[in-house]
This record gives sequence, C-alpha cells and structure tokens, in this order.
Amino acid sequence: MRADAGALRVYAQDATPLFRGEPDVVVLPGSTAEVAGVLRVATELGVPVIPRGAGTNLSAGTIADRGGIMLVLTRMDGLVEVDLDNLAAVCQPGLPTARLGAVAGEHGLLYPPDPGSRTTSTIGGNVAENAGGLRGLKYGVTRDYLAGCEAVLATGEVIRAGGKLVKDVAGYDILRLLCGSEGTLAVLTELTVRLVPAPEATQLGLAYFSTLAAAGRAVSRVLRGGVLPATLEFLDATCIETVEDFAAVGLRRDAGALLIFGQDGGPEGVARDVTRIAEACEAEGALDVVVAQDAAQSDRILEARRAALPSLSRLGRVTLLEDATVPRSQIAAMVERIEAAGARHGLRIGTFGHAGDGNLHPTVVLADSGEDAVARAHRAFEDIFEAAIALGGTITGEHGVGLAKLPYLERRLGAEHMALLRRIKSAFDPQGILNPGKLGS
Amino acid sequence: MSPNAPTGGRKVFTPELLDRCISCGFCLPACPTYVRTGVETSSPRGRIDLMRAVETGVLPDDDATVQEESSFCLGCRACEPVCPAGVQYGALLEEWRDHTWDRGGRRRVRLKPLLWGANRPWRLRAMGLVRRRTRGGDGDGPQLMLGCYERALFPKVSRAARALVPALRVDPGQGCCGALHAHNGDLKRGRELAEELGRRLDGTILTTAGGCAAHLVTVLGADRVRELSQYLAEADHRPRLTFGAADHPGPDPAFAARRPRIALQDSCHLRNGMGVFRQPRELIEEVGEYVELPSASECCGAAGTYSILRPRDSKRILDDKLDQIEAAQVDFVVAVNPGCLRQLQTGLKRRRSSVRALHLAELLADHYVPA
Repeated sequence: MRADAGALRVYAQDATPLFRGEPDVVVLPGSTAEVAGVLRVATELGVPVIPRGAGTNLSAGTIADRGGIMLVLTRMDGLVEVDLDNLAAVCQPGLPTARLGAVAGEHGLLYPPDPGSRTTSTIGGNVAENAGGLRGLKYGVTRDYLAGCEAVLATGEVIRAGGKLVKDVAGYDILRLLCGSEGTLAVLTELTVRLVPAPEATQLGLAYFSTLAAAGRAVSRVLRGGVLPATLEFLDATCIETVEDFAAVGLRRDAGALLIFGQDGGPEGVARDVTRIAEACEAEGALDVVVAQDAAQSDRILEARRAALPSLSRLGRVTLLEDATVPRSQIAAMVERIEAAGARHGLRIGTFGHAGDGNLHPTVVLADSGEDAVARAHRAFEDIFEAAIALGGTITGEHGVGLAKLPYLERRLGAEHMALLRRIKSAFDPQGILNPGKLGS
Repeated sequence: MSPNAPTGGRKVFTPELLDRCISCGFCLPACPTYVRTGVETSSPRGRIDLMRAVETGVLPDDDATVQEESSFCLGCRACEPVCPAGVQYGALLEEWRDHTWDRGGRRRVRLKPLLWGANRPWRLRAMGLVRRRTRGGDGDGPQLMLGCYERALFPKVSRAARALVPALRVDPGQGCCGALHAHNGDLKRGRELAEELGRRLDGTILTTAGGCAAHLVTVLGADRVRELSQYLAEADHRPRLTFGAADHPGPDPAFAARRPRIALQDSCHLRNGMGVFRQPRELIEEVGEYVELPSASECCGAAGTYSILRPRDSKRILDDKLDQIEAAQVDFVVAVNPGCLRQLQTGLKRRRSSVRALHLAELLADHYVPA
C-alpha cells in the first residue's frame, strides 16, 4: 500500500493525454483474497476503487477523477498453467501480454490479440478493455480468446465464469459481459485464454495508391476475392509524409495512401494469398506494389505502420489519438469526413489504422496544451464521432469509453440502452464503487 | 483536467526534454526497477512525472519519494531505445540528480572521496591510484583515455588496448572524463572535466569504458570519441585475431581442442546511449563461441556508483544475472566497462564460480596476432 504524495501523483495518470486525477491511496494486492478484502471495505465505506494494470489505455479508463483506491494488479502476474491438451493458458491479471505471447511461442502456439501496447500491457487490462490490435480481421480481438475467468464482485464475492471449454451455455454470458467492462462491474483475478497453433510462415507486402478511395476499393476487392489477410493496415498521405520525416523508412512521398498487407499460415498458402492481394491492388490502380522477399524486409514494411503514431507525436507536444470505427466499405468516405473536420477547425489530422476492421486512428497533434487548441480538437473529434455514427460506425473500436468518451456514448447507444447499462451496473455494484463516472454511470 | 506537459516552471529541467514524454508506458517493461517492484513510481514514466512535479513545485525537493526514486534509478537508460517519443531520459536523470541530490542535503557521503579524487589529475596520483608512470606511446593513432579508476583497478586493460592498437597515443597526465560527476549530481563539473579532457587529448579519444564513452559523446560529440569495440570493428582497424590455429594456439591449453564459450555483459550507456552492441559480439565470435545471455542487454547492477550507494539493490540485480551466467555454462563473461567488470568479478568470486570475468580488451589481446 502506498499513500505518499509521489505515488499518488504518479498513479494520477495513464496513457491518455490531458486527463489526471489523484487517488487517495494506491493498493497492490497479492491475491484474490486481498482483492476481495479491499472491495468489501470499499463497499462498506462507499469509496471508489479503480482497478488498473499497466496503465496503457487511451480512454482515461483508469483515472481516479473522484479519488479513492487505485487497485494495481501488477503484483498478481503469475502464469498458472499452459494446457497443451486444451490449447489454453491460465494466468493472473497482471501477467504482461508479451510474456504470455512468449510462453505460447515456446510451445509452438500463438495468443493472437496484439494491441499496440502489447509489450507493456497486462492480460487483465486487455480483457477489461477488450483490446484489439493488428490481427483483428483474421483472428478477432481479446474477447474471442477469453475462455474463462475468476472475478471479485464489488461486494467481495468471488465468482467464476467459463473455463477451458469451447461450448458452455450454462447461464447468461457473464464472461463476455465482463470482457470490455472497463473495471466497472468486477475485478478480474484470473483469466483462462485460448491459444491457437502458431502459423508456420508470415509474409508482408505494401501497395501505394493515389487516393485512399482507391486503397479502400482494393481492400474490398481482396476480401471479395476470397482471401482473409492476417494484416491489412493503412496510412494516409499525412502519415506517410510524417513517417518519412521522422523515421525515414523509404516510403514514396507522392502517394495519397499506403496499404500494408500480409498473410500467415502454411508457406504455400501464404505465397498464393500474398500474390492474390498484390494482384487485387494492381487491378485497383496501385501506383506500386512491393512484396517482401524475406523476414527482414517484412519487418521493415511493418516498421512503417509501427512508426506512424510515434512520428506524428513528434509534430507537437500533445498527441490526441481517437479510434472511430466504420464498416470497412466506408473507410474512404470516413477519411474524407475526418479531413473535412480538420479543415473546419483549423487542424491537421493524420489518419492511419486497421483497413480490414474499418478501425481508424485519426490523430491530432497540438503545438501546446492551450485551451483554444484543445477545444478545437474536441470539436473536431465530436464531428468525427457524428460522422462515424452516421456511416453506421461507432465512437470507439478498441480503445474503450473511459472518461474520455463517456460524453459521446449516448449518441451511439441511445437513452434506453444507456439506462440498461446503468441497471446492469447496479446489479453488479450496488454502491457504485467500481470505477465510478465511467461505463454504466 | 490539467495538461500532461507542464508549461513554465522552475527551470530545473530543460523544458523540451521534459515535454517529450507522452506517458504511453512503453518504457515500463524495459526498466529493471519497475520489473522488480511492479510499482510505477519506480518506472521511467513515473519518475518523469515526479520530475514534472518538482519542476512545477507540486512536490518539494526534499520529498521522500522524489529523493528515493532519483537514487533507486540505475540510470541504465534501457528506457531510451524503446521510447517511441524519443525521450532523452539519461539527460533528464542527470538534471534531476544535479538538482535534487544537492538540495535535499543528502549528497552521498560515501561518494565524496571518489568524486574529490577524480576532480583533479594530481589527486589521483597523490592517492596512489596511478601506481606507475604510464609510458607515453609515440604513434599517430587515437589517444587512449586511461580512465580515473580503471587505470588503478584494471591496469591490464589499457595495456591490452595498447597491444591491440599499436598506434595508440597515451598521455599519462590526463584526468577524469567527468562521467562520475555527471551521473552523481554534479552536471557542471562533469561537463568541465570532459571539455578539459577534450582539449588535452587532441584528435580521436579511444576509451575502454562504455560509460565514459557515452558521457564524452554527449559533451564532445560523436566524431571525437570511439569506444574500443566500436573502433576495432571498423574495417580499417580490425585486428588479426586467431584461435586454435597451429601457429598461434592461444594462451590457455584448456582450449586447445574446443572453442571457449563466451558471454557478454553489455555496457548500458554504450548500448542504450550510443547504440553500440553488435560490435563486441562480432569480435567475441572471432575468438570463441558467443553465448547470448537472456539479460545480456540489461544492467548488471554496477551502474556507476550504484553498487556503492545501494549495495543491497545492486546485489539483487546482480544475483539474477549470475544465475544466468552459471546456467549458460560459459567459460568467460566479457565486460566492456570497468564498473561492470568489477561487479561481475566480485559476484563470481563470492559464489566461487569457475567462470572468469574479463574485459574485452584482455580477451582479444590474448588472441592477437601482431602484423
């Protein structure tokens, strides 16, 4: 337990810019029993409890804006077992995602979800946020690999849901409800996740287009043609330019859009699919198509995508990243509206993201955190969320609602749906102590 | 809601350095103190937030957490290569210690004689650290930096360096490079000493100490400084090395029939500050079978003066490393910085291990074939 001013200060932030809120105390429990003890006391006293892993979320989901107990689960980082017969792993919530990935790899297996923060983030945090990542299109997201959990309710009872089962319809699907509940319903204390056989081979390629619309048409052509790529990412012209300015990975600056594609699986199938994707890009008028010939070249291609956010962040002091999501057929239309929103509010917005998922990351970089600039950015994001909803999309694809997007949630869900969330919340957490002021508030 | 980036402050820190951090947390798993505690005050992101609190005056200079964390940090800079925003943590830490260690009134007593001695070349001599007047080389090559304590603790290292680079020039009257001061809360003196050394030693300065190399690069610029492995790996300077060949079987009869297994301990500042880590591995491969330890790139706990200031924490980090060295069944573990070498030798001796720790220069000199 820590209550020194320094610790309270440090745990006042997560990875979301512009949000801070100091807890009154930081508690690092070592067991499920200790978690239950903290929650019983907190419910009795009506004190907020904010469960937290590595604090890499981008929605201000772990900000203690009402004070209370910051419940940090990083000490509970054990890997209980890797079950090769049932292709499952059982772990504690504080286990880093990357460590689970490494252990799975040692057994020739793969834990597919790979959010951008996977080197730092914890499995518990990934489940609480239902984290996505670069493999969403073919493999799905965290939810698709969560098989079971142990959780402590706000009142201190310990429940278990699911297990090492492929099929299980006994009761409401509490497991899926807890996945993505952002620490507002219960505290996850043990997770059972599914693993899959690791693919033998991976190959990547990239294609330049003169416009994002052309890249969008290429994505549709690829998927209609019967290929489900493991990787399908895009960068807009602003991102291409910035990546070249700061990371110099050798991209063509004259292109309007860059599509990064890839496939994994058996070596022959991979080669065939990658050729088919390249052909689809050419058929949609790609300016240039490059297919990696070896692992090193594949890595360099992915580097362009990885460098997008860090490069954008060097344009100014405050980087605001959103994740509006639309049906993938609407990507080009959505990017057009993002650009229009930027122009309307005097901002330059770079957009990159997961083309196969329709999951976009419009990014605003401000020279400083002055009120005027921040207000303009917020107005632009409001326009962007409106546009996403109008195109049949959502306000967040993978980052979560947290504090940052709660004001926009009702526009996406409607008043009745919001009321239902509140009733669910009060069934789990009658005193409203778990991560208050976020989902279900 | 208040912005992450502070605007205006007490000028303890260079604002551009402090503003760079975007709080993404990518540094957490790279940080030895975070990995061992799981507490974010002991992480780079957390420490930068503490620095911001000092800068804005939210936390006083003598705040216990501020004092503790500025000292608990190893200063290994493992957070820098993984930082997507390019935060120069090492520079921030130097500014932090420069400010906090002075004002908090806890300037480490144990360090005083060390820093005092290294402050002036004559004091080093007077303290008996320079036992024998080093013979000045008469080549036209780079200038060898002798290192203030390295020359006393490991005189064989500079002799080995001179064997490997016959053209080396050696100026016995040179002083300390100031890394010791810069890393321990005296940034100004650290810079002065580096500048003094830069004036005294003209041309390229060659050093066998990764920590000194990185400090000199910061003050004098990368074109004035070469660390030994960096220099030897350059095509023009590559020494002829051999192992097991009939004409030069190497000094140790134990390895007449098999190549020795050799591990490396990276120098943190050499790797994280200068990006030099490929070179020592390449050179080791030429004389033995290179074995990469799982934690080769992680701090050994020596961390400059850390092993003197925080012996318990230092030993905890070293113990994990020694377990790996013994499990890897190597014959030698090679260091490229005197602090690491001393740390490894002390630890291995304490365990009565059969593994021998030595400096890269010594290893290579054993296998050097003069032209």
